Amino acid sequence: MKAIFFFFDDFGSSIIFLKDILKTMIFRPCSRRLVFEQIWQVTIQSLPTTAMAGFFVGAIMTVQFAMQVSEFGALPYLGGLATSGTIREIGPLLIAFMLSGKVGAYTSAELGTMRVTEQIDAIRCLGADPIQEIILPRFIGIIISSFFLLTIGLIMSVVGGVILGYFFSGINPEEYVRHIPTILAWPSLLSGLIKCLTFAVVLATICTYKGYFTTGGAKGVGRSVVSTAVTTMMSIVVADWGTSFVGEIIINMCKDYFL
Amino acid sequence: MSEAILSNETKGLINKNVIIEAKNLSVAFEAHTVLKNVDLFVEKGETLVLIGPSGQGKTVLLKTLAGLIEPTAGTLSLYHKQWRGLPENEKIKILDKMGMLFQKNALFDSLSCGENIAFPLREKTQKSELEIQEIVDYFLESVGIIHAKNLYPEEISGGMQKRLGIARALALMPELIFYDDPTAGLDPITSKKIIELILELKKKNNATVIAITNDMNRAYQMADRIAMVYQQNLIITGNVEETKKHSNPAVHQFIKGELLGPLNSSFENL
Repeated sequence: MKAIFFFFDDFGSSIIFLKDILKTMIFRPCSRRLVFEQIWQVTIQSLPTTAMAGFFVGAIMTVQFAMQVSEFGALPYLGGLATSGTIREIGPLLIAFMLSGKVGAYTSAELGTMRVTEQIDAIRCLGADPIQEIILPRFIGIIISSFFLLTIGLIMSVVGGVILGYFFSGINPEEYVRHIPTILAWPSLLSGLIKCLTFAVVLATICTYKGYFTTGGAKGVGRSVVSTAVTTMMSIVVADWGTSFVGEIIINMCKDYFL
Repeated sequence: MSEAILSNETKGLINKNVIIEAKNLSVAFEAHTVLKNVDLFVEKGETLVLIGPSGQGKTVLLKTLAGLIEPTAGTLSLYHKQWRGLPENEKIKILDKMGMLFQKNALFDSLSCGENIAFPLREKTQKSELEIQEIVDYFLESVGIIHAKNLYPEEISGGMQKRLGIARALALMPELIFYDDPTAGLDPITSKKIIELILELKKKNNATVIAITNDMNRAYQMADRIAMVYQQNLIITGNVEETKKHSNPAVHQFIKGELLGPLNSSFENL
């Protein structure tokens, strides 16, 4: 019972926190320099790992699909099937998981340390608004870079699929790519990108919230980091279901126009 | 003894100059009550020193008076404005008048010493970079660490970090300054120098000071008034002479540093 109460209390607090961030974004925007610093920092930190994760997600999907479709003699469609599955579902999900462990944990630990060492109180005491000074640049920076990183990850997943398709199933890269548009329609691609954006917002909100409200010294920072990773992953799964559900409706509505 | 027992006439006289007024102030964290029904006022230009055994809530009281912790009950008035429910822009206007030295200094570890002092100047003023650097140099010189301008906080000693914290707290020339144990962990000579520096800078800016210290020599050196945080409440002990002669056995034991007395039971509960 206590856990349920705590969950709703935490959920409500994070929504209020998001509202404060958005309010600050509108009425007291932060400096662009700080946002660009964050975008640069997050992107540089995570680009190689995201690209590599994307590459292997695409490769795994291709290998798995190749084993299935070859039985039905549908190997030429491997590119379309693997890419569609990766971009619509597995790619954003797995890459977002990885980002939650890397960007989310880093941001939460950084903000948590600032909180327990009273640096956030110091910012407040110097007459500045901590939300405007440290949260907003990170929030915007994480959303932009995570969206960018997820997109790069998805592109790399196609590259991984093409390469593994060639080496594992002997599919010509040109043939692999040629069949992608026959199965992966624009609404599917859009659905994947919407997922990337949604996951980026979920990640940015949770890691800044958990970090900002850290209590209890070094142990508290540790707790915040673990809580950020767990909560973000769970929230991403829930958001994935939500966006899949909404995305399906949009795809059905758009079917007549695109297919 | 609390501020509440002062006569109405005295209250009327001091009200004009009162910049902080707390009435029945209580602070609790979940089920743990730290402060209960605290009454306090602070006049413009005075130096109030908070003393008391560890873990009794001195820092919580200081942070509450600085508007960093929301009281769970009671009222807090800063510069004649009720803090609770005050719009954010009004709060920031009041915070602009304040400076604070934190117990562990709270220096920005990603910024150099010079940049730590420049931070509030860049955030809150329209000064040019040249002017900012002049002010940074002036404060670093005032606290005697100009040579550490380009070093990072982790690269300087504890005493220098304390001085840097003071310089940063004073960078915007605040009217009201909170010092949380400015001499903690420092040797007696450095401690004395730090207090002299605080008093000199206070005199220069005609500032109001609220400071925490458990070093009674330093407390006597800077206090206009002394108050002791004890058992969730505040005992206003008066000026230095009044404090030394105070009749409360807990105050007497604390200032004398005696082993036997009512404070022993408090320590056992910690």
